[in-house]
Amino acid sequence: MLTLPPNPHPFDSFTASIETTVEKAYTGDTILELNWSTFILEIINFLILIWILKHFFYKPVLDVIARRRAGIEKTIEEASSLHSEAEALQKQYESRLTEWHQERQAARKVLEEEIQGERERQMSALQTTLEEERKKSRFAAQRQLQASQLQNEKTALRQGAQFATKLLSAVSCPELENRLIDLFLADFSSLSAEHLSKLQDAAGNSPEHILITSAHPLESNRRQSLEHALSRILSVNVNGHVRYKQDKALLAGIRINAGAWILRANLLDELKGFTDFAHEI
Amino acid sequence: MENGVIIADVVFQLGPIQITNTVVTTWVIMGAIAVFSWLLTRRLQIQPGWVQTAAEGVVSTIEESIRGIAPRYVDHLLPFVGTLWLFLIIANLSGLIPGVHSPTRDLSATSALAILVFLSVHWFGIRTQGVKSYLRHYLKPSPIMLPFHIISEITRTIALAVRLFGNMMSLEMTALLILLVAGFLAPIPILMLHIIEALVQAYIFGLLALIYVAGGLQSQQLTQQKHNEKTEE
Repeated sequence: MLTLPPNPHPFDSFTASIETTVEKAYTGDTILELNWSTFILEIINFLILIWILKHFFYKPVLDVIARRRAGIEKTIEEASSLHSEAEALQKQYESRLTEWHQERQAARKVLEEEIQGERERQMSALQTTLEEERKKSRFAAQRQLQASQLQNEKTALRQGAQFATKLLSAVSCPELENRLIDLFLADFSSLSAEHLSKLQDAAGNSPEHILITSAHPLESNRRQSLEHALSRILSVNVNGHVRYKQDKALLAGIRINAGAWILRANLLDELKGFTDFAHEI
Repeated sequence: MENGVIIADVVFQLGPIQITNTVVTTWVIMGAIAVFSWLLTRRLQIQPGWVQTAAEGVVSTIEESIRGIAPRYVDHLLPFVGTLWLFLIIANLSGLIPGVHSPTRDLSATSALAILVFLSVHWFGIRTQGVKSYLRHYLKPSPIMLPFHIISEITRTIALAVRLFGNMMSLEMTALLILLVAGFLAPIPILMLHIIEALVQAYIFGLLALIYVAGGLQSQQLTQQKHNEKTEE
């Protein structure tokens, strides 16, 4: 009968190997032994590995890092350059803006000065115009006032003349006439030499043309005194040559026509002169 | 694969050269990185996608970290320090993949990296300052300090190698012990710690390397600066 040897467990050999190894390790026989082949080959291996890693790992990786770093630095430089350019542009624009602001301020100042000057000029012109208008207005008002005063004066004179005419018409009488003749004679005596000379030249040559008009009939003594006065003044004897006329319109007093001369001493002529004066105004 | 769980196992042999699983894993990681880099950088664009953004973020972060320590030598240090960080992160985290073991749990690999850091310090120092000027800083502030400088160079290189190796190896060993004791799926919490530890260890290794290289670069510069300050006083 065939008997098989007992099948050893695989783990048994592994355990035996460990036991042997541990035993040798404890004794220190083989574990600290230096294998010169391994020693030299490891040196060579490591030097080869240095070469492999240097050429296939470090150099390419460092190159790509350097390239990336260069790219980053280039980008940074470009960004820095752009930043510098942007700053320069910003400074330029700020400077230009400042200049524009200053120019605008200067232009505004000039414009304001021009506006102020134009305003002052126009104000001055307006003041002048206003002054002229004011003067015209004042002058017109003055003239209107003067005209009004003149009109009032005329009216007053006319009314005064009418009133005086009415009044004197009512109070007219021979006594008033005598009184007026007396006044005439008194004034007649005080004529200047020049007037007397002219009167003598006009009436002295033709005393028959002397006409004395009175409002009331003159008494004879009154006539004589008049003729006597005329003769004395005119140095011509007019007695008996003077003609007499009565005119009620004279109201009171006399009127003497001697040639071209008319001597008035009556109320009508006085009042008429009063009215004429009003018209002359 | 006799005991390749913790200790590097020889996968095949090319004459006298043994190809361990550490080297194979490193080749796979290198291939993955190379393919990923080629695919990623084939179509890089100014407007990046999310993958490109992440790649650029990684490179920028490395660049800024270097700039914070050695601002004048970013271009010089970036390939070396960046490769250290990237490789260590991926190598440390590769241990989380079932059946894959982190190359950094092998002292040979971490020693190789530490030696490279050691050599890089002098390479960058001499390249930037010249041999005499660079070597002179070992005699500063006094020639008595020369042995201490040498001891410091050696010990910090060993510490760099052992720190990374110890942390990563111990993490895997802890996971294995828990697996041995508690069974399957039990080490999952410790694997989460593995992620954090992997990132922290990668960062520490790369940062220390950067500090060492920057120290070598700036030693003469600091000496000159102090000399100038004294002259001004």
